[in-house]
Amino acid sequence: MNARILGLGRHVPEGIVTNDDLAGMMDTSDEWIQQRTGIRQRHFTSGDAGPADLAVPAVEEALRAAGIEAGDLDLILLGTLSPDYDLPSSASILQSHLGVRGMPVMDIRNQCSGFLYALSVADAFIKSGGARHVLVCGAEVHSTGLDQTTGGREVAVIFGDGAGAAVLGPEPDPETGILSTHLHAEGRYASKLMVEVPTSLCWPRVNEDMLDVPGSRLWPRMEGRYVFKHAVTRFPEVVREALEANGYTVADLDLFIPHQANLRISQFVAGALELPEEKVFSNIDRYGNTTAASIPIALYEAAQSGRLAPGALVCLGAFGSGFTWASALLRW
Amino acid sequence: MADAEPTDVDCIIFATISPDIAFPGPGCFLQDQLGCNTVGALDIRAQDAGFVYALATGDRFVRAGKARRVLVCGGDVHSSALDYSARAVATTPIFGDGAGVALLGDADEAGVLATVLHSDATGYQRFWCESPGSRTYPARMTRRHFDEGRHFYSLDASAIAEQAETTLAATTDEVLRAANVATDAVSLFVMHYLDPRVAGRAAERAGLPAERVIATAERGGHVAAGGIPIALTEALQSGRVQRGDVVCCVAFGGGMAWGGALLRL
Repeated sequence: MNARILGLGRHVPEGIVTNDDLAGMMDTSDEWIQQRTGIRQRHFTSGDAGPADLAVPAVEEALRAAGIEAGDLDLILLGTLSPDYDLPSSASILQSHLGVRGMPVMDIRNQCSGFLYALSVADAFIKSGGARHVLVCGAEVHSTGLDQTTGGREVAVIFGDGAGAAVLGPEPDPETGILSTHLHAEGRYASKLMVEVPTSLCWPRVNEDMLDVPGSRLWPRMEGRYVFKHAVTRFPEVVREALEANGYTVADLDLFIPHQANLRISQFVAGALELPEEKVFSNIDRYGNTTAASIPIALYEAAQSGRLAPGALVCLGAFGSGFTWASALLRW
Repeated sequence: MADAEPTDVDCIIFATISPDIAFPGPGCFLQDQLGCNTVGALDIRAQDAGFVYALATGDRFVRAGKARRVLVCGGDVHSSALDYSARAVATTPIFGDGAGVALLGDADEAGVLATVLHSDATGYQRFWCESPGSRTYPARMTRRHFDEGRHFYSLDASAIAEQAETTLAATTDEVLRAANVATDAVSLFVMHYLDPRVAGRAAERAGLPAERVIATAERGGHVAAGGIPIALTEALQSGRVQRGDVVCCVAFGGGMAWGGALLRL
């Protein structure tokens, strides 16, 4: 039994923040941001909304498209690195918002690879008969965790808020749906892209030094060039791994949907794989990098714009903090 | 036990509520420290039921053919997150630090006989920790949150005791039924809950013989995601159970998430 995506949904907060808006908060420019990232704008919440709040409309849309109710779900998975609260999981908050109870819920904390790690878990449960309908959601509220001053500009210009959702169900045709998933990590590079605090290694875990301090360790830290170098190696590697596992080559691919990390990374990867531009999905110009939410948002838009025809061979790929990276090959 | 090298592991699943750093998760750090090549490191959150969730997920990975050997870990360092002021006198003594692991491998005779997982987030604020959280601007936590101690666990143990007791008992019954195994065939029942007295009452309610029950929090305090594998390891080392014995593990806690696993060791 394969798992197949039955419905997709997307939701972003109303507030649009352009590069010029950011230039009003920090020393940066539209030209600088577009040149390095391909981002023109992103969405930010206006405060007091967490990823579970953003996820609800996306989930409702995905459920409608799949033709099932929230109560029909056997498992709820939420990928996020920006949870609503420290405890419990944001998947619990989402379950509460959806007004359903009983089915298991868990957070998948694998950053930019979170959606594909969650998709792999969903696939494993459905394939092995442990669940029929699984909700896989990616949702992030980055805006509340970014240093929106000149000191934080390298990171703050990249990320955006948003949520995407996929409802998966069983597919009897072994040639249709998720053909395989591939997960990787390399923890030795954890410090290259991280949020360090709160940290259990520090006593007390949360302390006054973490408050109101410019350059606080509460803000994300990223060594951009390092991340770029590894991303452009691991992305092509894990795409080829997925293709080879199923006896395909790059030429067989109809669409590659990379995690929307940075337009320059996607272009570099497309070049390395010798994939023409029209086969590589990109919407980072409008959303920025929404980490765990980027692939389901992209999938939703690809489906809406008719780029996911029945029978299309689609590869999803991700790379990010951990480092973690992953891919999934799907026959639509 | 399993005769395997770190490089034989092809997937890591780590459950915790007290990660090393905000992100990435402890699975990535463990992978690096063990030297497990570049295998996937899945970090999950299911609070006190985290180990059972991780175990069920690992079982599904093996059954679906996605992995052959899965390292399932549960661990927490609560001590650095606890409130040592007088206002927390009822909460802080409950918790302890620790970690445990199980290495799952494919086998002809299923070692994981059954798993059941559930969650009901109604009333999740009875055991929660608000800060830091992305609903708060700026920086996920303000001075007001800090001064009000919202970064400490907030636990209303008396409000969840009855739900914990009935759920642990019902989940024991559910996982035994799922595997069609009778109570008599089980050598050890591991009841995982932050209050060992409640865990004990749940065992009574389920009609389990007291001499075959362990309440995980009784020794070393409550380790949210680590209590079950720690108890299983101790039971094996002390000879209380042997390879081939059937053990039943049930957990209930924050979320509220709960689950059960019936294992042949």
